[in-house]
Amino acid sequence: MSGREPLVRMVNISKSFGTVQALKNVDFDVGYQEVMGLVGDNGAGKSTLIKILTGVFPPDTGEIYFEGKKVEIHSPKEARDLGIETVYQDLALIPLMSISRNFFLGREPVVRVWPFKLMDRRKMDAVVRKVLSEIGIQVRSPEEPVAILSGGERQSVAIGRALHFGAKLLILDEPTSALSVRETHKVLNFILEAKERGLSIIFITHNIYHVYSVADRFTILEHGRKVATFGKDEVSAEDIIEIIRSGFKEGECQQ
Amino acid sequence: MESPPRFLHDVAVWLRQHPEIGAFVGLLIVFVGFSLTATRFLTSDSLASILTVAAELGIVSAGITFLMISGEFDLSVGSVLGVAAMVFALTAKAGWPLFLGWIFALLASAGIGFLNGFITVRTGIPSFITTLGTMMFWRGILLAVTGGFPVSYFPSRTPTMFFVLNGCFAGQFRTSALWFLGIIFLLNVILVRTRYGNAVYATGGNRDAARVLGVATDKVKLVNFIISALLAGLAGCIQFARFLSVDPMRGQGLELEAIAAAVIGGTLLTGGAGNLIGTLFGVLLVGMVRSGLVQAGAPAYWYQAFVGVIVVVAVVVNTNLRRWALK
Repeated sequence: MSGREPLVRMVNISKSFGTVQALKNVDFDVGYQEVMGLVGDNGAGKSTLIKILTGVFPPDTGEIYFEGKKVEIHSPKEARDLGIETVYQDLALIPLMSISRNFFLGREPVVRVWPFKLMDRRKMDAVVRKVLSEIGIQVRSPEEPVAILSGGERQSVAIGRALHFGAKLLILDEPTSALSVRETHKVLNFILEAKERGLSIIFITHNIYHVYSVADRFTILEHGRKVATFGKDEVSAEDIIEIIRSGFKEGECQQ
Repeated sequence: MESPPRFLHDVAVWLRQHPEIGAFVGLLIVFVGFSLTATRFLTSDSLASILTVAAELGIVSAGITFLMISGEFDLSVGSVLGVAAMVFALTAKAGWPLFLGWIFALLASAGIGFLNGFITVRTGIPSFITTLGTMMFWRGILLAVTGGFPVSYFPSRTPTMFFVLNGCFAGQFRTSALWFLGIIFLLNVILVRTRYGNAVYATGGNRDAARVLGVATDKVKLVNFIISALLAGLAGCIQFARFLSVDPMRGQGLELEAIAAAVIGGTLLTGGAGNLIGTLFGVLLVGMVRSGLVQAGAPAYWYQAFVGVIVVVAVVVNTNLRRWALK
């Protein structure tokens, strides 16, 4: 991969909220077809870094390069249009809406029926039916509300959505934290499958064992700074846990 | 655990996708009840009078339903209805062409809706509070401007504009019923079949999730506040075309009736679920109770008490059905 510009490169990113320095001079990159584990304790700055990348808020300083080009991402929609798809733990899908409506939210195909532009529900349902069967989820109809799906099924549907819409980078925020062992296993497998199909993935989590089994590299954040980035061959899961547990000694924030 | 019988499972699937079923069943029960107890209930005049009551309430309720599904609330619709009717009346008295006065009244309503939405979205306070304030504010303005006296406009013969808004046809039927049905149909198509409708459900279902998925939730809410006020204003003009006079208390209490009709129809107070067909049933139910009780010989006071009971029963039933269907 050397010599080639990575898919995403974030350079020297800083962000403050009032007097709180959430991120300080963080460099972060994700290569093509790579699973990057983004780990660190609560308040380490993982979410802030991701929200900057997905256009939820702008960085104070720093630059973002996507596919080698400098980009400014002002909204989640712009991030999506670039091919950056995020699956948030609680915000992946809207429970009261149907699976079809969720899957296509914001990108519904339409047919013109004067004077309306109507959603092409037949097409939507057909796509969703196909995706659900690929994932291995059985429901009576794509018109069923998401509320009847389990947590793992919801994560899978959201990942399936990213795949379907041709995402290049998939960001997963704590995708396994609320799941049973069996469901976690399914979702982890699905992440590897997404990688096989050419996607790059950022996997944010507290559970080092979950991320360790699928990630190629790890970036550890601590109090808004980057501790280090390791390849999988350089560290064990226990090493990572020890680094996070013992904290970032040099220049540590007070209190 | 044993899985439920296939039949019950089918019913659950059906209920999940049709929250308006509860209101429809309620409507049937009330209809049969009054048909048996009130002798003149099953006549076309009686049906027409139900529709006349239901139409004016229903136009308001349709707008509120749309807004409630996007997760907001509008208590000011009764005052907006009064303001629009008053603007329509005053411009007519001042000699404006009626069409122009009507457009002006609608614009004023839309402006109030925009203000409701703007305050709510910008400051992030609950719309219950925003519209509680504007409800009182506009009612106060109405009283101050008129000094508490009604305003009437009696043309020598019925103008076309009034006929279009609320004229009689086929006996006692009124054109307001056509407005009502047309609006229900139009809004329901938008809600259920268009991308905008999807954004409305998403905004009310989970605002943060909708936002990270790229839905412009603030814009959706603002537009829906305008729709709610605009329809309240239209109802005010329609009602004025029927009474030819408006007093400054016009529309007071209507906001709660309109919300009642929407929740009877299965719209969630917290947003994210419901549809206009449910509201159609809810409004017809309320209209039927109002004229049915009178025809059954009950004193008119009983109407409020009866609707109060229906609201609570309907929401209890709707909530339990939903819970059961999602199990």
